Amino acid sequence: MTAPNSTAGIFPLDKPGLLKAYRTMRTIREFEECLHAEFAKGDIPGFVHLYAGEEAAGTGIMMHLEDKDRIASTHRGHGHCIAKGVDTSGMMAEIYGKSSGSCRGKGGSMHIADLSKGMMGANGILGAGAPLVCGAGLAAKFRGDGGVAISFVGDGASNQGTFLESLNLAAVWNLPVIFVVENNGYAESTSRDYAVAVDSFVDRAAGFGLPGVTVDGLDFFAVYEAAGEIIKRAREGGGPALLECKMIRMYGHFEGDQQTYRAKGELDDIRANKDCLKMFTQRVMEAGVISRGELDAIDREVVVEIQDASAFAKAAPLPTAADLTTDVYVNY
Amino acid sequence: MGNAIGIIANPVSARDIRRVIANATALQITDRANIVLRILSCVKACGVDHVWMMPENGGIRHHVRRGIDRAENQGQTHFPKVEYLDYKISGTVDDTLKAARLMQEKAVAAIVVLGGDGTHRAVVTACGEVPIAGVSTGTNNAFPEHREPTITGLAVGLAVTGKVPPSDAYLPNKKIVVRVNGHEEIALVDVAVVTDRYIGARALWRTETFRELFVTFADPEVIGMSAIAGLLSPVSRLDEGGLHVRLAPEDEASIVLDTPIAPGYMRGIGIRDYAPMKPNHKYRPSITDGSIALDGEREVSFTRDDDVTIELVPDAFRTVNVSGCMQYASRHGLMRMKPDQKPKMGGQ
Repeated sequence: MTAPNSTAGIFPLDKPGLLKAYRTMRTIREFEECLHAEFAKGDIPGFVHLYAGEEAAGTGIMMHLEDKDRIASTHRGHGHCIAKGVDTSGMMAEIYGKSSGSCRGKGGSMHIADLSKGMMGANGILGAGAPLVCGAGLAAKFRGDGGVAISFVGDGASNQGTFLESLNLAAVWNLPVIFVVENNGYAESTSRDYAVAVDSFVDRAAGFGLPGVTVDGLDFFAVYEAAGEIIKRAREGGGPALLECKMIRMYGHFEGDQQTYRAKGELDDIRANKDCLKMFTQRVMEAGVISRGELDAIDREVVVEIQDASAFAKAAPLPTAADLTTDVYVNY
Repeated sequence: MGNAIGIIANPVSARDIRRVIANATALQITDRANIVLRILSCVKACGVDHVWMMPENGGIRHHVRRGIDRAENQGQTHFPKVEYLDYKISGTVDDTLKAARLMQEKAVAAIVVLGGDGTHRAVVTACGEVPIAGVSTGTNNAFPEHREPTITGLAVGLAVTGKVPPSDAYLPNKKIVVRVNGHEEIALVDVAVVTDRYIGARALWRTETFRELFVTFADPEVIGMSAIAGLLSPVSRLDEGGLHVRLAPEDEASIVLDTPIAPGYMRGIGIRDYAPMKPNHKYRPSITDGSIALDGEREVSFTRDDDVTIELVPDAFRTVNVSGCMQYASRHGLMRMKPDQKPKMGGQ
């Protein structure tokens, strides 16, 4: 059964937009669930940090972006890549270190990039993306094309000097830059109380003259609304801003993390009551604009897409020794 | 417990999208902690020796702790004993509800609330008969009166220690009860019915979605949804009823009001009509599907299948009458350090 098309006045997105949002979140979830299972088999080199549970934030923000808009991601970057439009087969092959990967297998999970999609790269160096987007924002400002640049950081990375210097630079140059703090409550294993003198990320923005907004990062619509206003303001020359998304990750800091810092029953509670995908599904179905059947159809397509991506990655060739000397320098 | 009081300081009020769309205040955590310290020293000066505080992980308690430690290092004793309620912090409104409930159980004499209208609403939901005193640290804030928190702290101290009699120290307040299929929510100032079917960023700023408004009081000196009613027909906090306003697209409206919907954010609001809101009378929304915003924040969505009623309840809870306390203190010389000294009149 197909639900009616009109969402005018009741949702901030039309029906195709809502279906796209669901497909993106569902793709991220399936991608990460697949990696969770595959990583345990020992075939994936390096570390992976999964974005499962945080899909609403990346999707709610990226739904407002075009390919010309640049983002710099974190070590937990798979969700950002998918939401920005990076091909899932190329991503999966990259994570397996294969030559068919987005970066020919030389980046791995923490350095997936696709400049054609505006994805400047995930980054294993905490806080390193913030100055990069200042450069991208400055370029967009010079071009005058209305482009914006977004840096994602975790709550831990917000203590890095690069991040704080970037807040200042973006404010001084009035750059079309947005700093997104994805606050999942755990800076790996360091408590915020121990490490952060000024606990509020919004206060940090205010200290540099930037407006800051905190939203429930589990609520797609809260993120979508807030990000929309902030991005629109930046495109129109209103300058930089900070968006704090309070969110929850469903897995450990990295795959293999024993998560001894979690309270008893915390993960069960997250799965049952704080799953952003379930919250989105409930909201659009209750409103009668999307049917269960329409969502199930997307689920089936996404499962096939990720299975194909996984098979593609496993079958792809490894880079050769000769590949070590390629892609080291780039001609401008 | 004697005259212990409670303090509930919300670390995340004034953090919504109105910082971006409307240049709204973003009161910093250190400012909130300093407000708490000022209140602590004022209630101590009035004789309050024990304060229970809501635990939070937004940073306020660390700065309060540092402030108290600094004072102790300097040999100063102008703060009461401060204890934090003991429970797992959720970082949500549940913390406020739990703190208010526990403070009620500990029989505090009053609760000082730092937050916006939403924080005050949460406290009133769970504090029972305990009077509250509001300090505005939010965005639109029609409910807490705007004044230096030092004075609010003094008034609370004077009220809970009995230096000001209850007849002068406390005031009754109205509330609006919203029931959706029997489930109750309350609003202290306004209930807005909007067409949105999602909660989203909570704040209200897209005027095209506004359909209906119910207010406990209507003050032309406030901003936000209640400003609409205040600019139409003022109703005081002490009047028995409220105001019911039906809104309309500007081209269908009988009046278009230029209204400060958010700080510095003026928008035209189409008014279809308005009428007194009768107390203890059940109203129903004029639209069948939408959301209900309580004190300026979307909270509940409803459909044609839901049974929704909106009712104004008079004399629902008490607030500390800050103005009344300070007037009484002045008239009766409560702040004179040597009460037997009489000033000379005439000033020559």
